[in-house]
Amino acid sequence: MKEQLILIQKDCEKSCADISSLNSLRNQSILITGGTGFVGKWIAEMICYLNEKENFNIKLYLLSRNVELFKTEVPHLAKKSYVNLIEQDVRNIYEIPNDIQWVVNAAGSPDSKEHSSQPIKTIETFTKGTTSLFESCFRLPDLKKIVHLSSHQVYGKINSEKPIDEKQFGSLDAYNLNSIYAESKRLTETYCAIYRNQYRMPIIIARPFAFIGPYQSLNKHWAVNSFIRDGLFGDSIRILGDGNTVRSYLYGSDMAYWILSMLSNGISGECYNLGSSERINLIELANKIVNLLNRNIKINSKSSKESYDNTSIIVPDLSKVFNQLKIEVNIDIDFALMRTIQWNKK
Amino acid sequence: MKNILISDPTLRDGNHAVSHKLNLKQIAIYCEAANYANVPIVEVGHGNGLGASSLQVGLSDVTDRQMLETAKKHLTKSKLGIHCIPGFATIKRDLANAIDIGVDVIRVASHCTEADITQRHLGYIRERGKEAYGVLMMSHMAPANLLLEEAQKMENYGAEGIIIMDSAGAYLPSDVTEKISTLVEGLDIPVGFHAHNNLGLAIANSITALESGAKILDGTARGFGAGAGNAQLEVLVAVLIKMGYKTGIDLYNILDASDIAEKEIMPSIPVIKSESIVSGLAGVFSGFSKHVKRISEEFKIDQRDIYFELGKRRVVAGQEDIIIEVAMEILKNKK
Amino acid sequence: MIKKRVAIIGSGNIGTDLLIKIQRSSYLECVLFIGRNLSSPGMAKAISLGIKVSDESIQAIIKDPDCCDIVFDATSAKDAIHHWEILEKLGKIVIDMTPAKLGGLCIPAVNMAESIILKNINMITCGGQASIPIAYLIGKLHKDIEYIEVVSSIASKSAGPATRLNLDEYIETTELGVKLFSNAKNAKAILNLNPAEPCIDMQTTIFAKLDNPKIDELKIEVDKMITSIKKYVPGYQLLVEPIYENGKIVVMIKVQGLGDYLPKYAGNLDIINCAAVAVAEQFAINNQS
Repeated sequence: MKEQLILIQKDCEKSCADISSLNSLRNQSILITGGTGFVGKWIAEMICYLNEKENFNIKLYLLSRNVELFKTEVPHLAKKSYVNLIEQDVRNIYEIPNDIQWVVNAAGSPDSKEHSSQPIKTIETFTKGTTSLFESCFRLPDLKKIVHLSSHQVYGKINSEKPIDEKQFGSLDAYNLNSIYAESKRLTETYCAIYRNQYRMPIIIARPFAFIGPYQSLNKHWAVNSFIRDGLFGDSIRILGDGNTVRSYLYGSDMAYWILSMLSNGISGECYNLGSSERINLIELANKIVNLLNRNIKINSKSSKESYDNTSIIVPDLSKVFNQLKIEVNIDIDFALMRTIQWNKK
Repeated sequence: MKNILISDPTLRDGNHAVSHKLNLKQIAIYCEAANYANVPIVEVGHGNGLGASSLQVGLSDVTDRQMLETAKKHLTKSKLGIHCIPGFATIKRDLANAIDIGVDVIRVASHCTEADITQRHLGYIRERGKEAYGVLMMSHMAPANLLLEEAQKMENYGAEGIIIMDSAGAYLPSDVTEKISTLVEGLDIPVGFHAHNNLGLAIANSITALESGAKILDGTARGFGAGAGNAQLEVLVAVLIKMGYKTGIDLYNILDASDIAEKEIMPSIPVIKSESIVSGLAGVFSGFSKHVKRISEEFKIDQRDIYFELGKRRVVAGQEDIIIEVAMEILKNKK
Repeated sequence: MIKKRVAIIGSGNIGTDLLIKIQRSSYLECVLFIGRNLSSPGMAKAISLGIKVSDESIQAIIKDPDCCDIVFDATSAKDAIHHWEILEKLGKIVIDMTPAKLGGLCIPAVNMAESIILKNINMITCGGQASIPIAYLIGKLHKDIEYIEVVSSIASKSAGPATRLNLDEYIETTELGVKLFSNAKNAKAILNLNPAEPCIDMQTTIFAKLDNPKIDELKIEVDKMITSIKKYVPGYQLLVEPIYENGKIVVMIKVQGLGDYLPKYAGNLDIINCAAVAVAEQFAINNQS
């Protein structure tokens, strides 16, 4: 385990392409809501790296409904002197420590299992959670910036081969149970616009695509997690649906560095894609995993259809991110898969 | 041929240049000349518009009522326009009377990020059946996306067009392109531009605005206006004729009108003075220039220092009182 | 000392900031915090302080009329009119934070004694609280003043939607107050919103157009006034002492907030609330029986 944690710190170092671009975060206080999820843990790791290797002296507040879980899952982070855990449901926030200057709003689960079984709670966590947080942030004496994590799902259904840029919106069927997540994310983006305009708060929206890496549970239903789980513990990798489906995966330490860069250098009012531009289809992905596992394992396809008219392609266009923030993907898919498998073998 | 709506604030912005001392005779003479030249809208009043005669900005010698009644009498073809800033002008005290007198066009203005304060005024004007425009002043201080949001609010409040003002004369043509195109793209109503000439770009910026999709332009006779003055109306008209735009203004008659204006209402023709260049660079409201000049003389300090300090503090139109404070602070730091 | 029991109607920024200030008071005790929405941030704050809350608006007091002695009305001018019809019959002392102008206008440093015998006390406006004490002094020292003008600039962030929508009422009420306290024939109030970041402090300038200024006497009086206002508004400061410039007296004031509910830039919120609490406390002291 200890070696794994050292590797994670090395990943953070690898992702930190330009330390000086984060200088405005030195000696500052940062709050992460949803602090104990994948995003929160990776940002905590990154801040651990910045504080201990680069003397950033950042004070980190992690707000979560379940602080105990964080303590058991990542005791090495929980006991750092600069990590402060706040146990609260984001929907009930009314007051947060006055010294907070930077905020990353990452509360709410992206897990569609939860969206299906707890739809009302899902919507409330995003909407009420966001307004409660923003109301409290409004009263902070020295608020510098907020990065709000939305989702690529706000883009709706886009039938295009091309990567999705920040202004490309497709359709979304509001009267549909599968729209719970996307519609709540759309509404919270409108809240962001309101709080930025009417309350004059500096807010940036990040729209995550798929992530990969340690700290991500293999029990999520997303393709890459299932493939690795089945590859490690099962007897075959099952591709559900169209094997030509194209996705891309941003590694955890890259994600954490990107979010901190957006916090430090993003322009209020802007939206940025948060994901990798490296395209990969599910068949290629499964093959890569099989090769890395070095284990004789079959790949099966399961599908309701003989063929697909439109291949689903969900990959971000990163022109704006490169141009405005000068950040890049530092960890490629092969390395990311290797590290994820390594982590899960433990 | 494309139509461009010209609004002429010689008798409003020009009032800044004479510390709001234009008299009724001057108003009558210029209104008559502009009316004869077919200028579509003639804007009249205190430099900061209705209800703005004050110690803060400068006291007018004549009342809003007198100015508007005089102008109305001499405008038979041209529409009578006024500028109106909530926070200075109230509906009951100022706007209701102005409409009773016969004002046709009212431009409700706010600092470029504060459009919310125009809701009731714009609504009232539309209720009274008059033409209402929204004006975003000091528009160089907000990015294009924010200007658009503020302009959209004004559109929702009932504005029939949005004019962005380069109140500090701080724009480069590329700024004009970015901001005007963003507004044109995002709004259904026409967009206009009001230039100041601190960096010698008033005409060039006005033309850039047209090329970016603006449909309304402001210009004043000889550029008579606050600070370094505005886009020179007779030049603008000539350039527009050469470019093939239609304004409805007669060239000879507007040239005559500007000659009359020079002779009858201007103690001196606007030039870009050294301090105006600094004011433009620092992004300070052009209407401050007379105050800065007076106060810098009284306190014996360099005007340029005052401008840069005002720019640093991001002072907005209407905050003339800060000039004294800044001057006293500069003086204190010198000692 | 028996604390007077107060209720606050209106759970917005004004109401919630009043609550925090009253929590510190030795003479007042908030027994009921009333709004319309139990999940608003102000309500959450009140609940966290252990204050009894209600979402029933004025009905909460109608149902339990004996719960309090003083009511702070921090709603809107329109609602305050309706509330006063009820509260007057119930015999409550009302401190009106809205520009409804139902009762006597109050500036604690100027007319505390006459105010605390009233049943309805109006706190004018934030700009009024900052400027009128100085306008009053100018009026006291000079006869037949033609014109006084007060200009306030506040941080945009500190002006909520209601303030923005009601600029005309702000101007009317402030002008009325300036005229009343200074005896000037004409008065004008101007309000600017400045969006600069970091936020500006509230700044108020008082101009008086007159010919024979008594600047030296005014300076002494202003200093005394500032000392007495500072007792209830700690962030009230003289920014530019009285000068005579271009035919007018100029005095500039800066008001920094205490940073209770909103950050320190919201001096506008702070000054009117501090003034209101000062009046209520004086009432409590004078009515101990």
